[in-house]
Amino acid sequence: MRISRDTIAGRRRDRETIFFLTGGTGFIGSHLAVDLLKNGHKVLLLARPRNRLSVRQRIDQLLDWFALEPRHCKNLEVVEGSLDAPNFDLSEKDFGRLLHDVDEIIHCASNTSFSERKRAAVERANIDGLRNVLDLAAGGRCSFFHYVSTAYVAGRKDGICREELLESDAFTNVYEETKCRAERIVSEQCEREGIGLSVYRPSIVYGNSRTGRSTRFSAVYYPIRTILFLRDLYDADIRERDGSKAREMDVRLSGNGFLHLPIRVEVSEKGGVNLIPIDYFVDAFMALMEECMDGGIFHIVNRRSVRIEDLIDYTSRLFKIGGMEPCSPGAFIEKPKNALEILFDTYLEVYGPYMRDTRTFEDQKAQAILSRKNVVCPDFDFNVYSRCMKYAIECRWGTALFQDKCEGKPSL
Amino acid sequence: MAAQCRHYAMCKIDYLGTGVCASGQMKHYVSYYPQGRMDIYAALACELIPVTDALLDIADTCDLCGICDKQCHFYTEMKPSLVMAALKDYVACYREKGGNIEKPRMDNALRKLHSVVGEEWASNDPAILVTYADDPCPLTPMRMPRYVVLPRTRDEVAGIVRLAREWQMPMVVRGNGGSTAGFVFTDGIVIDLNRMKGMEIDRENWVAVVEAGVTSYDLQKEVSRQGLRINAAEPAATVCGNIICSGTFSTWINAYGTAADNMVDAEFVAPDGSTFRLGEKTAPNLFAYKHEDVPSPGICTKAHVRLHPVTEDEEGILVPFSSFEEAVAFARELSMRRIGIAIAVLGEHYLSAFTSPTEDLAVRVRPALTELLGIKYVVLVIGDRYAISAIKTMGRPVIDNALFRILALGLPRLAADEWQFFIRDLDWNHNAFELLAKENMRPLLSAILEPSPENIASAVNDPDLRDFYARLYAKPEMTDLVWLNTFRIVSARMSRHKHMFALILYVPLDKQQLIDDIMREFAGIADRHGITHHFGFLTPLDMGKRAILEYDYYCNHRDESDRKRIQEAMPELVPMIEGLCRDVKGVAWMKHIVSQGFSRKEQFLYT
Repeated sequence: MRISRDTIAGRRRDRETIFFLTGGTGFIGSHLAVDLLKNGHKVLLLARPRNRLSVRQRIDQLLDWFALEPRHCKNLEVVEGSLDAPNFDLSEKDFGRLLHDVDEIIHCASNTSFSERKRAAVERANIDGLRNVLDLAAGGRCSFFHYVSTAYVAGRKDGICREELLESDAFTNVYEETKCRAERIVSEQCEREGIGLSVYRPSIVYGNSRTGRSTRFSAVYYPIRTILFLRDLYDADIRERDGSKAREMDVRLSGNGFLHLPIRVEVSEKGGVNLIPIDYFVDAFMALMEECMDGGIFHIVNRRSVRIEDLIDYTSRLFKIGGMEPCSPGAFIEKPKNALEILFDTYLEVYGPYMRDTRTFEDQKAQAILSRKNVVCPDFDFNVYSRCMKYAIECRWGTALFQDKCEGKPSL
Repeated sequence: MAAQCRHYAMCKIDYLGTGVCASGQMKHYVSYYPQGRMDIYAALACELIPVTDALLDIADTCDLCGICDKQCHFYTEMKPSLVMAALKDYVACYREKGGNIEKPRMDNALRKLHSVVGEEWASNDPAILVTYADDPCPLTPMRMPRYVVLPRTRDEVAGIVRLAREWQMPMVVRGNGGSTAGFVFTDGIVIDLNRMKGMEIDRENWVAVVEAGVTSYDLQKEVSRQGLRINAAEPAATVCGNIICSGTFSTWINAYGTAADNMVDAEFVAPDGSTFRLGEKTAPNLFAYKHEDVPSPGICTKAHVRLHPVTEDEEGILVPFSSFEEAVAFARELSMRRIGIAIAVLGEHYLSAFTSPTEDLAVRVRPALTELLGIKYVVLVIGDRYAISAIKTMGRPVIDNALFRILALGLPRLAADEWQFFIRDLDWNHNAFELLAKENMRPLLSAILEPSPENIASAVNDPDLRDFYARLYAKPEMTDLVWLNTFRIVSARMSRHKHMFALILYVPLDKQQLIDDIMREFAGIADRHGITHHFGFLTPLDMGKRAILEYDYYCNHRDESDRKRIQEAMPELVPMIEGLCRDVKGVAWMKHIVSQGFSRKEQFLYT
């Protein structure tokens, strides 16, 4: 028998609940784990060693990054195991302990790759990994399952996307597809087992809107990083060499100190990118978790999308880069794409559906609670953009964040 | 270092335009080349040989010009002049201390050998003998010969053979003194054919007539000057020796064929000392073949090698693949459709080793090629403009020679981390090489990789050699896929990190599963014995019906445990390969072709 909703709420209030959290070394998972710990909750965190770092080293580096006080760390226990394996590759005894101890599960672990070439790995993480976690939930005394999904389970569609289980057979990529399948799986299993379920569907999550801090620099960061790489590349060519490579691409220094990078970016009349900061996501998650003992599906999104034109403007102002301009699709017929534009075109091939997104994510259910608790999503304006990009540069897009980096990627 | 000489004899050919060790060219014995001096120093260190007159002469005739450093560093990263200087120092000290100079004993046999070739060209001096006693093959122990003889003519060869027969003394023949497979050792006479350098080009008959000491590099250089080409062996291998030992296989066999295909006639000294020409009606039938080890038919002293025309529009191209199966299928399709002249499937190991001037760079380039760009295999094609044009219309991204040049000269930056994020983080559905292969991307790629001779030279750790490498890579041929395949000078780099022990088979190319199984078996045996191993290459031939497959095991030949691993793998390897040759049509083992290289390829491919 699972415990009642009231008992769950009571245990949480008394800080007796043991949360089992997956993806705790990832961007969203680590922020949730830290917030739970700061609020006095007990967290069991599943993680595995990576590169040359032990599990403990990985976690310690993360906790250092969060500057989490030791008093908050005492409620953290790390379990070394693999999500990919049945029983997480734990001994019978250790897995048995999880079955006995875990009250609630927060499943954040996910493979966020969009590439079809990585389908096997994505399915392994997002489907098989989920099933392994559900086995723990079903086999033990877990009473509530919190599943971190994505707003983009809606797949390829226009118009309104509801806060309910969705039927779709057209997806932009394998990530969307597997997350949608996963929602069905988790929903069916929790219903069958009498486990409470909340599904949280964030849009695209960036760093902290107040501090700019982040541990992950993909998605919206990628094109900015690329532009800055190109700026530095051609700036060095002009200043330190003969500038021939820059001339070849019509890259030049303007009198006002701006570097002219001729990049036309195709935009559409409508649509933009839906961005939420990690601090808002965490606040929203915690509010929804506390308030919704009956569970539900919640869009955690921004009601104001950012347009590509705005991103170009922010980038130009902050980094003194000229020449980038939005254009209509017809522009490339008159003048074919140059190498820089081909590169951005490739980026848009992957992220275009999110950058020129015309979907509207209904969020009444979430907002009914969030507005009551005064949890408001900040705009991604120039100030927030500047803070985030400055931090990204400061930590060299994550490569300088942690020790023992591997191939330029953050090791955590 | 002295013991690490790979015995590729690359110090005996002028493959980098640096010139060749002067004393070696004058004295001809391998002992007077850097390769020989390395062996001698290693032997002295192990107290295997005494100090003799020849040893003193060998040390004295080295003028420490440094040519060998450039030649050897190019494919092993070693600088033999350190050993040469140490040898000279040792000799100087030895003299100063008044050490005993041992005189090899003159005997009747040596006198008779002198009477055949002249006093200068036969020796029993241990300093000479030791340089003909060993090679990096892990299966054969050192064997000191009694005599080394360097004949100049066919008749001198015949005279030596008759004497050996009369004395019932075993005898082996060496072409250029290079040896890696342990075949050329004896406790009798070693005949070194290095002095037989005659070469004539008969354009009317499309034939080059070469004596037994002519190397593939030297012949290719000459015929190339005349706008022609031969089926190229490894550059330091002698033409005659390579035909008889392997039939000469290369990427060119797709169009030129192998074994008897490339040869019009040949002259032999038979085991009884008589001579014959292959083209004579009464000659032994060397065109036939048996799937087993057979004794040598004699000593090939001259070969009439076929010449092939070259068109001015030939170009090299690389077609990248992320899977072996796709690459093999593509190579086969090209061969079946008669598109391209030279064709080969190369793996990331060869590709990175061949293009990198240092092993450190090769190691760093490998993940950039495979994990970042998705290039695990390439199909290399040399073809005329029609072939290249046809390949470009086959719907696959290609690396043409211009792009290859950008990548090759920008290799250190390609391997660097700073730019890789925009490929790695892109999360594209396609392989990254598809992006880089786009024609319009080249200016950007060029800005990122900064391809230049100085850039590729910067990968060389030794500052003394960086200028040399920058000058070398400024030569257009160093990034010209046609030239590199014609002269094959970079293939020796495959053994840079360790000696390579090659497993070479002809296989039926329409049986992909069989090829996969063979590769898996080779890999499995290697893994079981802790041997480093990599796919080598695969080249189709005879319109894609058959292919030659090379799979390489690697072994530090001076490490006894490494040698032992190979030795212990052999009882698994040999029955496996013998079984394939027996049971599967189209499989033939190169080991059996040794001594049968003059046979018709049809005899070993289709019987």
